Amino acid sequence: MKTILAFRESEYAWVHEKFPCVHPLLLPLCNKPFIEFLIDFAILAGSSAVRILCDGGLGEVERYCEDGSRWGIDLSYASIHPDDSIHAMLGKNRKFCGEERVMIVSGFSFIRYDKRYDYKSFVSSMPPGEWSTCPGGRITLTGVPTKAVPDWLIADLSLMPLDSMTSYYQASMETLKTGESRYVLPGYGDEPECAFGRNVVISKSVEIRKPVSIGNNVQLLGNAIIGPSAIIGSNVIIDRESSVESSIVFDNTYIGEHLEIIGRIASGNRLNDPKSGASIAMEDPHLLSGIKKNRHLRSLPRKIVHACVALVIIAAFFIPFIILWPLLKLGGHWKSSPASFLAERTDETMPLAKVEVDASGAAAAIAVALSLDRYFRLFRVVTGQLALIGSTPLLAGESRPDAPAYVPAYLPGVFSYAEAEEWAATGGDATIVERFHLAHSNPLTDIGLVIKAFINRFQEKSTI
Amino acid sequence: MTITETSKIGIAILSLYGTLDALSAPELRNNRSIIDPEKTVVIDLQQVDFIDSSGIGAIVSASRQKRQPSGGIVLACMNDRVRKVFEITNAQKLFHIFDDTTAAVDFASSRQSASA
Amino acid sequence: MNFTLDNIDGRLVGTARLEGRLDAQNSKPFQKTFLEWLEKTPLLVFDCTLLDFIDTSGLGAIVGCLRKALENKGDLKLAGLNDKVGMVFEITKAKRLFSIFASQADAASSFASELNPGTT
Repeated sequence: MKTILAFRESEYAWVHEKFPCVHPLLLPLCNKPFIEFLIDFAILAGSSAVRILCDGGLGEVERYCEDGSRWGIDLSYASIHPDDSIHAMLGKNRKFCGEERVMIVSGFSFIRYDKRYDYKSFVSSMPPGEWSTCPGGRITLTGVPTKAVPDWLIADLSLMPLDSMTSYYQASMETLKTGESRYVLPGYGDEPECAFGRNVVISKSVEIRKPVSIGNNVQLLGNAIIGPSAIIGSNVIIDRESSVESSIVFDNTYIGEHLEIIGRIASGNRLNDPKSGASIAMEDPHLLSGIKKNRHLRSLPRKIVHACVALVIIAAFFIPFIILWPLLKLGGHWKSSPASFLAERTDETMPLAKVEVDASGAAAAIAVALSLDRYFRLFRVVTGQLALIGSTPLLAGESRPDAPAYVPAYLPGVFSYAEAEEWAATGGDATIVERFHLAHSNPLTDIGLVIKAFINRFQEKSTI
Repeated sequence: MTITETSKIGIAILSLYGTLDALSAPELRNNRSIIDPEKTVVIDLQQVDFIDSSGIGAIVSASRQKRQPSGGIVLACMNDRVRKVFEITNAQKLFHIFDDTTAAVDFASSRQSASA
Repeated sequence: MNFTLDNIDGRLVGTARLEGRLDAQNSKPFQKTFLEWLEKTPLLVFDCTLLDFIDTSGLGAIVGCLRKALENKGDLKLAGLNDKVGMVFEITKAKRLFSIFASQADAASSFASELNPGTT
């Protein structure tokens, strides 16, 4: 038997908004990524292969789950369109499905199952068609049953839609309370309802009230009270005298001292109220803050290479700039207006001048051809705020589908990778090129691409 | 890169072999079935061992040539290497992608007859 | 920040309207200003409707103000906390130290209802 797990971006858009740091399919329920519950269930039902379908990106999911060998199954990934029916999905994966029975689990919903049931024989005796549904989710079977009568007559399950922070919170708490016997949950612990990850440091005076689930690399400092009903992720610090009750604390979060977190979801510096859906970013790092990870996009060698090349360009174009800039400025051909752009780090912005050079006249044409309109931005590369080459900086305050929170990579640069390619002129094509290079380039190819971008701009402007 | 072209119930099937990059992209771009705005083409990517942003660009611009953007070019049999490049660039959203050429042809012909 | 005095049933209640941010930058001068208000009356209301942001040092300053008001046999009440500021009060447990009201008028008149013969 084989299983298809199908999701649409629209079903989990709320996760992007509330918890941008995690891919929705990896959203942790009781410290276990959502998708793992479904993979476990597919295995319980007797699947040898599982395919994950989605109309959005699956890169992070694939990096986490890999080829499924960890679970002893064959895991693969494919893309669908938002309006594909189950019939269309089966068509697009005809080779995968083969002649076997296929179980299709579609929708961003949580399956309440129980690992003690024998779903395998139950599934093989079920007639084709719908097995279970909930708003926004369903389990469907195709193909003929291979067994007349199941060995077990009861194999109960139900679906629970994960359509908001409220239902996510409920599902998490339910999993924490009843989960141990029903699901395979992570963590070690001698006692029931009390799971600990690796490298959890608990000061002597800390009080633990069951049920709790704690991830890896967690520090609980003096007199902290954890629980009842606390789910603490990995890489978390709970400072002195603080208590966490009926709450979820996401990975990489610092909770300051003397705080009381009750009935909340804390994620980095964001504090959410699962009941009202209110979400607030704490500006004070003493209260709540994110614990930062190093990002490979801006590794130090790359920063240094970019800064050095920027210095070379600044020096090389100093003379033309110092002659042309005052000239154009006085003539009114150089228009500069301040604007706020999204910075590399999520939630941060930076001021940058938008320069427009009115390209009439020889001086203006030379200035544009030499990219002098970007001259001031080069200094931002030296200070490390911009990359020399990266994405086109996005204006802050515009809500757009390619905003940094939703895309795998955004690194604002003086030049953009799109400018280094000839075929990509505008819009969607430009983003495609930018993402390709953000994932594949290194400091040395960056230098080559800067030169290419520069030449492209030169040719483009000098031919007009 | 080599392109092998076959045809089935009026649908052109282009099987690509080798590297699809800036050097070989024009070959795909100038293919007669690709240029024809009325022709539905299934591109079989099974044997493509390398693709870069120019290669993706060639496929994207091919679909722009067609009268019906998403029905005009249908992709089939992406291997993992190719799929990852589509994924990074988010270009997979622009296409219907099948893991089987026959299924892709069935889909393309049903679409063609629906629009005819 | 403006400060007004109201006569509520014969007793002077001072209301300060806090605005913008109360953080490490301005919490020290704020505490100094508070002493001037305290000289006029120990019964005080902080109207926080226009307070956008508060950090731990700002919170410390407000708690300090409460202590001084109590030492002077008065009280400090809060009104009109927005979600963001309210959440800070909540998780820091500071909420329990204060009487918090929806509006300045409610806070000010609550001093009047506490006025009954025998307590003063």
